[in-house]
Amino acid sequence: MSTILKEKKFDLAVSTLNDEISKSALAEISNLEFPTRRTENWRYVKLGKLLKQDLKTDNVADLDISDFLIPELNTHVIVLVNGHYNETLSSSTPSAGLLIDRLENQKDTDLFTSHYNTLSEKHSEEIFTSINTAYNQDGVFIHIDKNKHIEKPIFIININTSSNLITNTRNLIVIDKGAKASIIQGYYTTSEKGNFNNSLTEVFVKQNANLSIDKIQDIDATDKHICTEEIHQEKDSNFKINTFILNGELIRNNVNISVDGTNCHSEMNGLFIGRDSQFIDNHTRVDHLKSHCISSELYKGILKDKSTGVFNGKVIVHQDAQVIEAYQQNNNVILSDSATMNTKPELEIFADDVKCSHGATTGQFDEEAIFYLQARGISKVRAKEMLIGAFSEDVLAKINNQNVRNFIESRI
Amino acid sequence: MSTILKIENLQAQVGDKAILKGINLEVKAGEIHAIMGPNGSGKSTLSSVLAGRDEYEVTNGSATYLGKDLFELDPEERAWEGLFMAFQYPVEIPGVSNINFLRTALAEKANYFKKEPLSAKEFLQTVKEKSALVELNDKLKNRSVNVGFSGGEKKRNEIFQMAMLEPTLSILDETDSGLDIDALRIVANGVNTLKTENNATIVITHYQRLLDYIIPDFVHVLFDGRIIKTGGKELALELEEKGYDWLTKEAVAN
Repeated sequence: MSTILKEKKFDLAVSTLNDEISKSALAEISNLEFPTRRTENWRYVKLGKLLKQDLKTDNVADLDISDFLIPELNTHVIVLVNGHYNETLSSSTPSAGLLIDRLENQKDTDLFTSHYNTLSEKHSEEIFTSINTAYNQDGVFIHIDKNKHIEKPIFIININTSSNLITNTRNLIVIDKGAKASIIQGYYTTSEKGNFNNSLTEVFVKQNANLSIDKIQDIDATDKHICTEEIHQEKDSNFKINTFILNGELIRNNVNISVDGTNCHSEMNGLFIGRDSQFIDNHTRVDHLKSHCISSELYKGILKDKSTGVFNGKVIVHQDAQVIEAYQQNNNVILSDSATMNTKPELEIFADDVKCSHGATTGQFDEEAIFYLQARGISKVRAKEMLIGAFSEDVLAKINNQNVRNFIESRI
Repeated sequence: MSTILKIENLQAQVGDKAILKGINLEVKAGEIHAIMGPNGSGKSTLSSVLAGRDEYEVTNGSATYLGKDLFELDPEERAWEGLFMAFQYPVEIPGVSNINFLRTALAEKANYFKKEPLSAKEFLQTVKEKSALVELNDKLKNRSVNVGFSGGEKKRNEIFQMAMLEPTLSILDETDSGLDIDALRIVANGVNTLKTENNATIVITHYQRLLDYIIPDFVHVLFDGRIIKTGGKELALELEEKGYDWLTKEAVAN
């Protein structure tokens, strides 16, 4: 008994979160094909191996999570093992206005029904989105009540402990009016291999709310991961997502932000390091629907060996969205002749009063700088590390939490 | 006095072009040597070969530094062994702070000699002391290496680094180029203060001007990849007055 995506043979339990939604997602899947190299949005992604792979599901009760914690960082901890919410391993201190629960437990609440899948359904033509909606087995529900500021970060640890797993993790995050929180999403594997995690998180940042997400992807070098965040911002809200890709065979991120209110601030940053034959793909999309908003984006890539990177950032300023500032920047360094970077910043502007900039650079480290450091007694290896550190600095500076920053820095 | 550097019949090329065609030079402790010559004579190639830049291929000859074959050492090993080159064009390195860069350099050197690195306090004390030598502004020390430095500040930063690293042999590659008279005086004063009977300096320059401030024991004239004349400090003055033509014509005739 196994799942083979290519044949659309899903030997997976259908999601019980909402029968109607699951049913319509199943119908959607039967009409959809997997993307090929001719599908513009997926053109660099080699899915062949993943689609032909035998995949299974698994559940594990106990596990030592200490390896996955961030030193000196005190957080609420939510642990998902092989895609299942693990209550024993999770530990959150009760805070007023903070609700953390298994998604399944919340499925009959108004909060759930008024939000669940409302963002994803707009992208149901993406087959992996529909697969997640149809087959998600578990996930996290976070609600921060009106005007509550949750000081302690919420750390969602996703761990795969088995081989050739398929996990469809689904999360729903609602930050209510005037509330504030920070979330860390970590994706990890123990020593097992060949897993596929298809994760989808819907995020609602309500009026005047503030949310930051630091996403750390550090899975096994044989694991594949498609990770989608669908974000909806109401007026006067702030949202920031920082993505750090440290390891994995194939990683595809989709960050889609709908800025649906005036006076919002949206920020997307990313740092990725490709080694061996890794494939790293960051797709972002910002829809500016209302006036007086600022969005900014900074992604930086370091590509070694035979790794491949993709950056595609799309900013769409809709007709009624006036006085928009949108900044987009992607800089990459290639450290090997066999590494490749494909970058495409895109702007589509339908409004008149807009200030936008976008740019992309791909280059190598300055040999003169390396020699200069060597000539002062810094070994070549260390000199390159220093330049990688310097290159990464402005993305690392986007991390609000110093302990998270130290941890990421120690891993690059 | 002990020999610090001995260069014998050194020949080097870039691509297929021979640039150094047989250099002989011996530098002893306590000495200051000036290497002068017209543009294109091979001055910068000589300093690059000695510092270990890998675009230059040594095709013949040898350089013995403190008894070791210099060309067997990587650039960083040369630095650890006390060779210092002040760059003609100091490189800007955005994102690497001047101070962290020096701390790393000193720590790696200490590690090479299996010694304890300076404590944070000792390090900062040394920085304070040595930067005063070249009147380097406090703010510059914390900035990214050479980023936003004026031409003169970059050269002063080079001498500050030299002071921190306490080299046995310093090579100043056209350090005077682009310097106004005040910066020149400050740089020269730094170099003179760092001079001891145990170290040596090679000053590579196109102009005699710097040698008013750093008085050489020997002046060598480099032309077409060879040293065509060696003299005392008065040779520099003669070159200033007569130009290089009288020497180079003689060399071509020979």
